[in-house]
Amino acid sequence: MLNIVVMIKQVPDSSEVEIDPVKMTLNRTKARNVVNASDLNALEYALQIKDKVGATITVISMGPPMADSAIIECMARGADRGILITDRAFAGADTYPTGLTLAATISKIGNVDIIFGGDETTDSSTGHVGPGVAEFLGIDQITYAKTVDYEDGYVVATRELEDGDEIVKVKPPVLVTVLLNSNLPRHQSLRKKIDALRKGVESWGVNELGLKPEWVGLRGSPTIVRSMKTIKEIEHMKKKIDIDHLGDMVKELVDKGLIKAGGSQ
Amino acid sequence: MTGLINAIPATNKDEYKNVGVYIEHRGDELKRPSIEMIGIGKQLARKVNEKLICVVIGDKVDGIAKEVGEYGCDIVLAAESPELAEYRTMPYAEIIGGYIQEYKPNIFLLAATRNGRDLASRIAVKSRTGITADCTVLDIDENRTLLANRPTYGESTLAEILCRNHRPQMATARPGIFPPAEKEKDHKYEVIKKKVDVDKKLLGKQILKFIPRKSTDLTSAKIVVAGGLGLGGPDGFKMLEELANLIGGAVGSSRPPVDLGWITRDHQVGQTGQSVRPDLYIAVGISGKPQHIAGMKFSKVIVSINKDPNAEITKYSDYIITEDYRKVIPALIDAIKNSKKAQAPVQKA
Ligand SMILES: Cc1cc2nc3c(=O)[nH]c(=O)nc-3n(C[C@H](O)[C@H](O)[C@H](O)COP(=O)(O)OP(=O)(O)OC[C@H]3O[C@@H](n4cnc5c(N)ncnc54)[C@H](O)[C@@H]3O)c2cc1C
Ligand SMILES: Cc1cc2nc3c(=O)[nH]c(=O)nc-3n(C[C@H](O)[C@H](O)[C@H](O)COP(=O)(O)OP(=O)(O)OC[C@H]3O[C@@H](n4cnc5c(N)ncnc54)[C@H](O)[C@@H]3O)c2cc1C
Repeated sequence: MLNIVVMIKQVPDSSEVEIDPVKMTLNRTKARNVVNASDLNALEYALQIKDKVGATITVISMGPPMADSAIIECMARGADRGILITDRAFAGADTYPTGLTLAATISKIGNVDIIFGGDETTDSSTGHVGPGVAEFLGIDQITYAKTVDYEDGYVVATRELEDGDEIVKVKPPVLVTVLLNSNLPRHQSLRKKIDALRKGVESWGVNELGLKPEWVGLRGSPTIVRSMKTIKEIEHMKKKIDIDHLGDMVKELVDKGLIKAGGSQ
Repeated sequence: MTGLINAIPATNKDEYKNVGVYIEHRGDELKRPSIEMIGIGKQLARKVNEKLICVVIGDKVDGIAKEVGEYGCDIVLAAESPELAEYRTMPYAEIIGGYIQEYKPNIFLLAATRNGRDLASRIAVKSRTGITADCTVLDIDENRTLLANRPTYGESTLAEILCRNHRPQMATARPGIFPPAEKEKDHKYEVIKKKVDVDKKLLGKQILKFIPRKSTDLTSAKIVVAGGLGLGGPDGFKMLEELANLIGGAVGSSRPPVDLGWITRDHQVGQTGQSVRPDLYIAVGISGKPQHIAGMKFSKVIVSINKDPNAEITKYSDYIITEDYRKVIPALIDAIKNSKKAQAPVQKA
């Protein structure tokens, strides 16, 4: 049977995050925490493969203890096992130690065939974690997949690129990152939720993974955020134009060389 | 699965010099985001009197290598093999990783396209260094430290991220933000070509098919006429098209009309669409949410047409027209057509 891992991250619900109109910063305090949206699309493809050929699905997440609710939610949708990677030492990780930690987790699970993740998160949206994990593990990857299937021992997927769709075929082990909205994630089932709560989420820390505290979290991060600046906005004229005076605006646009008099024809 | 790379030793910074850029192309077509990377790469390199080194990988790449040189690159590293005709993560990452070890660039940049992002963090991990994603501002200081800035928190804040002790300092940059490089007459450059034997183990990924999609490149349009949810349906875009055709513009969209299928995704402007910086941006029935503003706020002149006088888009507008677009667009088309008559000599019927 296939051994599948789905990587998920708990993030503030982007539709509930409010922008502070004065400071122009995000007010996250009111937002609920949810599973990152494209991670649910990734889980759905994992479940479809499980439905088709049978698989054990393990959901893993690196995060604070409260992230166990996100894992339970995934188990309520059909994942078999949940592991929360949590330890003070993991805090403040950039994508390098995040990739290292997730790869160490996957190595410890052992004999994993397919690893799924989202294309990017809605909070820091680097999209760098998936490929980083694949490199740490030394395995191939398929990113930005909008369809994923498992056929005759191969993962077949469609990658959506800027200039077209690329259909690829890779023999596991392989890591796949899934495009946001590429499928319709199934709902949670109450029975599965009860099972999940009974089963519980395993919790692994630095020691369980055989990592050293200085390799992970902030200390293991090659990058630092030096400063955060509010983006200076360009000044705009904010000139109100009445519908009866559009000609005045057009004349100004023509004078500035932005459009040609009479149009371009 | 192979063993993990654990601790990352700090690199000796003095050994690292010059600016490296990965070049994307499909066959003989050099991708525009890479021309932008050459532009910013050149700027950074010249500021500290270093060289720009570009990496080109493919089957037959002489044409692309030449073009890259003409754009002002100093050294073009060209890796060739029939097996490299199409982009594939594993062999490409291996080659770039090898070049980085050999040439030790202080900075290495990629465009944050899908294939660019597919590669970028693999190369960072391979080279045991950090990487900043999706930058919109890049600069270098007197210590040759890359100041990598990326927008965060709904595009309201710019985070400056540094890679302190590891080299190269890597970043991906958002397409459509940096002006593309211009060709330099008589620029001297060197092409270092290498025929590679690709390790069969890296060729596991089979590309069964590539289905090209007609894509609207909004990033090079001088005028963009964009519609939002306020258009109320796909027909609204017909009206915008008429206006765009009249003034030689391209049609853009906010995200909801794309999600609703009123227009295809290649028209989407914003954080998860294209970043545009035309001379003139006309926003029709668009409220001006941060994720949309992120993709168009560098436009020179912005006109907004919105029923709501308090819509956020007005804060970013040079001209504000508060009215139903169904009335405004035909009137605007007339006004533009008439602007000719006013300037042309009067003709007798
Ligand atoms: C404002 C801001 C800017 C940042 N910029 C950078 C930067 O430029 N470079 C950098 O190295 N770091 C950066 N970071 C740190 C980065 O957010 C963390 O490393 C984070 O742990 C993972 O990044 P992501 O959310 O971008 O993941 P992405 O790479 O966007 O996530 C892709 C997928 O990877 C999986 N995944 C990601 N995180 C986890 C997790 N914790 N557990 C399980 N699965 C996961 C999920 O499947 C997810 O869908 C930044 C953080 C902030 C707050
Ligand atoms: C992770 C993430 C990524 C996103 N990425 C993007 C992105 O790349 N691009 C993007 O655009 N959005 C993006 N969004 C969505 C964004 O948050 C907004 O929902 C979206 O920009 C709103 O689109 P809109 O302005 O067309 O619609 P609305 O906000 O609904 O505004 C419609 C406007 O039309 C006006 N209107 C209505 N009828 C008329 C009429 N007859 N005449 C004139 N005006 C009229 C209304 O007054 C209103 O201001 C993203 C969101 C998330 C969470």
